Amino acid sequence: MVKIYIDDREYDVPAGMNLVDAAKWHADNDIPVFCYHPKMEPVGMCRMCLVQQGAIEKDRATGEVVLDEHGQPKVRWMPKLQTACTQRVTDGMVIRTNTAEVDQARQNVIEFLLTSHPLDCPICDKGGECPLQNLTMEHGPGMSRMQFQDKQHLDKHVPLGDLIYLDEERCIQCARCVRFQDELVGDDVLAFHERGRRLQIITNSNPGFDTYFSGNTTDICPVGALTTADFRFGARPWELTEVPSIDPFDAAGSNISLSIRLDRDFGGKAMIKRVMPRQNESVNEIWISDKARFGHHFTRSENRAQSPMIRNANGQLMQTTWEEALKSVASILKAAGKDVAAIAGSQMSNEDLWALREVMSAVGSTRLGAWPITHAGADLVAQVGVGVGSNLGDLGKGDAVLIIASDLEEEVPIWRLRLKLAKERGVFLAVANARHTRMEDFATACLRYDYGMAAHFLSNLRAENPDLAQQLAQANNLIILTGAEGLSLDGSRALMQAAANFLIETGHVGKPNNGLLSTFPGPNGMGQYYMGFTPENTQDIMINPPKVLIVAQADLYHDDPSASQWVHEVETVINLTLFADETLSHEAHTILPIQSFAERDGTFTNGERRVQRFYTAQGPIADALPAWQVLSRLGEKLGRGKAKLSAATVMADIAKNVPAFAGVTYKEISNVKRQFPDVGGRDLYYGGTAYQNRGGLGVQLKTTAESGEAINTAPVELVNAPRSQAGQMLIVPTTVLYNRERTFLPSALMHPRVMMPYAEINSADAAKLGIKSGDVVEIVADTMRVRVKAHVNGGAPEGSIVLPRHLTTEAVPMTMTLGRVSKVD
Amino acid sequence: MNVIKGFATTFKHVLEESVTLQYPEQVRPFQQRYKGRHHLRRYDNGLEKCIGCSLCAASCPADAIWVEAAENSDEERYSPGERYAKTYEINMLRCIFCGYCEDACPTQAIELGHEHQLSFTDRRDVIFTKEMLIDPVPAGGQDTPQQVAPGAFNRSIPDMENPK
Repeated sequence: MVKIYIDDREYDVPAGMNLVDAAKWHADNDIPVFCYHPKMEPVGMCRMCLVQQGAIEKDRATGEVVLDEHGQPKVRWMPKLQTACTQRVTDGMVIRTNTAEVDQARQNVIEFLLTSHPLDCPICDKGGECPLQNLTMEHGPGMSRMQFQDKQHLDKHVPLGDLIYLDEERCIQCARCVRFQDELVGDDVLAFHERGRRLQIITNSNPGFDTYFSGNTTDICPVGALTTADFRFGARPWELTEVPSIDPFDAAGSNISLSIRLDRDFGGKAMIKRVMPRQNESVNEIWISDKARFGHHFTRSENRAQSPMIRNANGQLMQTTWEEALKSVASILKAAGKDVAAIAGSQMSNEDLWALREVMSAVGSTRLGAWPITHAGADLVAQVGVGVGSNLGDLGKGDAVLIIASDLEEEVPIWRLRLKLAKERGVFLAVANARHTRMEDFATACLRYDYGMAAHFLSNLRAENPDLAQQLAQANNLIILTGAEGLSLDGSRALMQAAANFLIETGHVGKPNNGLLSTFPGPNGMGQYYMGFTPENTQDIMINPPKVLIVAQADLYHDDPSASQWVHEVETVINLTLFADETLSHEAHTILPIQSFAERDGTFTNGERRVQRFYTAQGPIADALPAWQVLSRLGEKLGRGKAKLSAATVMADIAKNVPAFAGVTYKEISNVKRQFPDVGGRDLYYGGTAYQNRGGLGVQLKTTAESGEAINTAPVELVNAPRSQAGQMLIVPTTVLYNRERTFLPSALMHPRVMMPYAEINSADAAKLGIKSGDVVEIVADTMRVRVKAHVNGGAPEGSIVLPRHLTTEAVPMTMTLGRVSKVD
Repeated sequence: MNVIKGFATTFKHVLEESVTLQYPEQVRPFQQRYKGRHHLRRYDNGLEKCIGCSLCAASCPADAIWVEAAENSDEERYSPGERYAKTYEINMLRCIFCGYCEDACPTQAIELGHEHQLSFTDRRDVIFTKEMLIDPVPAGGQDTPQQVAPGAFNRSIPDMENPK
């Protein structure tokens, strides 16, 4: 701690802190900035943060503070004003921010920036939350001396990519967007072009602005130069209501804020106008991926299920009331005895899953399946997951992270962003996979194994890669982040066990920033586990289909090519769904429309076991109800006591019955505390328009390792990769971020970014099969038959085909399998 | 005596000219500043002046105005510049005819006119939509949406004047 003086008051601040940050955090003094951003290195380009700076004079010989004639310490002032953003605080620093000279300097900078600013604030999306507008009101000259004819007229509608538009006139050349892409994301796709007044931002990628994080640049843009295609002219910022929510797409559980406003076209109901990040420094800081930002359109898809439907005697689905539908389902369940099973998707909230479990225990069944069945080992995450208080942003020198069997950028982009930054802070970042993934561009060490051998690789790490094993074992903090690429479900379990064993043996469990993470698909993979839903049960359900199957928010036919076979054997399917047009609807006896995350409240448990809450934002769709409510009312009909009236009371039930959730209440999940940097206040210029967290930081559940129980290693049941016979190849399903899943496809603006269905083929295999890049190939495996374009490159290892899931309309296997590939003429 | 005095007053007034107008056959002339029902103005070429900025709605003390904006294209142009009002509604029951909207409008698109006969029999009739508020297309102008030459109308706000 050092002593500094701001406007003649003394403050204790940590040495070396950036002056703008220190003034804001410790002295509550907002130094205006345009180019400086607390998450990025200062550049001192905009000159807005000029302050008077000096130092308390000390006698060189004695080191004594020199006093002036009044007995006050003498200050040696710098001859000119200094940019605060490029200063780090030192002992005895004296700053004045309120002198006439500083005021004049700020006024001059504003006037200069406005020389060629178009002042079309009335139609600007940023108008109302614009740093330039606010700082002009606060520090500007108030009168214009400009010749309006001299203003430059430039292009006002330059699409940088499909998602972001640039207004060249409005840009003040602060370089925040360029630096964000370069310094933070590592996708160096923006650049400055030309010089002086002609300086413009251009994109140098094809397709333009090719990154998964482009939307964040519109938040940190201090003017309306960058706007999103999604929100363009959607509403004025002051008309929006911010509702805290959670990203419904991946295991990171990014905190988001849904900006809602009533809308004529949406029947006068509240509608999501845009999705903004919400600060949670332990989860997503102030960034979100473009999928979270632009993927909300599925909540208003025209295919949303409208009302409960029951199949009548003629086999036709007929609209009915909730009461009738639930009565009918209750009688079906009673008649089925115990031969009932349930499969729940990972977009179900904790409350939904609990209510479903209650229904299942009412009929006496324990067959609770999780969907999709790609990632096993959630129980190990519950045992040795990262400790309470973990924060990828805290990792630094001496720490290590191993990413194995995951294409992290495509699976959980926010973790990829934060681990890239961690590596730059000195973390030893090892990436192991059977093929090249984007994460390798940022890794300290890249390792290869053959597909299917991830668990073998990790089990034999000490013998075969002693250097790496040593690096990891000796790290102060170690996180192993696993995926399930190129693994069967059993293979995934083996990998998780091998990772858990390594962590336990090297003592990296039960502490913050140590332990196991996994890229579970969907936002609530861990919630599924805690509520008793496992992929192993699903496998069992697929092998021995029950008489009655409850499917909740799981798109079986789109995910699993064998679904048509085993679902046929089920007598009655009860489908709780968002969408009326699922293939499963053709078979379902009852369709119960449920609400998406945007229309009701609930909680998700993210990959770090953080229980986070989302709130009701959007108006309801027709008769759809929250799944927990539907299931709770169903439970009442089956004799499980009165139906619950709110999600909070369901959570109270969970807290009572699930040991890991003991003590978790909505109140506690909603607690917030001040986070550094202090963004989202009235001073939008400091951190951009990211929102302050008012909805809660969530509660991280304790691992078993932390609750003091002894954690033991267990033998790894290694599964050998399927051996290919002549002519067969390994079909490796992978995840791509932008795909044709039913929850993403309705976002029409993302369509240009979704790849046409393709498969990567090794050039050696391609030569053997006579396939060239761009050829259409047919891939046949088990029950799957798809036609895709071939990408011949070095991406796929020899003997394997990398086939992204959810790009084709037909289902692709969930886990690795064997198949044949042939060229289609 | 008092009776005679009283009748004298009465007869004096009988002979004076009447101030009562036979409304609605006779209408008193309006002051220029009178604030009646709103009009949405057009430019001479028929394009709408309203750019959908919602500042009228923001300034409205009675929360009577509802605006939803959308983007123009050269194929389908409603107003100069990039933005136009897709929905524009005023709830005349809420409106207090204060004229703040007029003051807030950066393009002088909304103006309070002289129409004051706003009686109705159904509450739903009181919400004036854009079609009801907008002026007829002036002679020589074209109705919106217009198809225009690319880049011809790229300014939303009319050019500002230099300080004098």
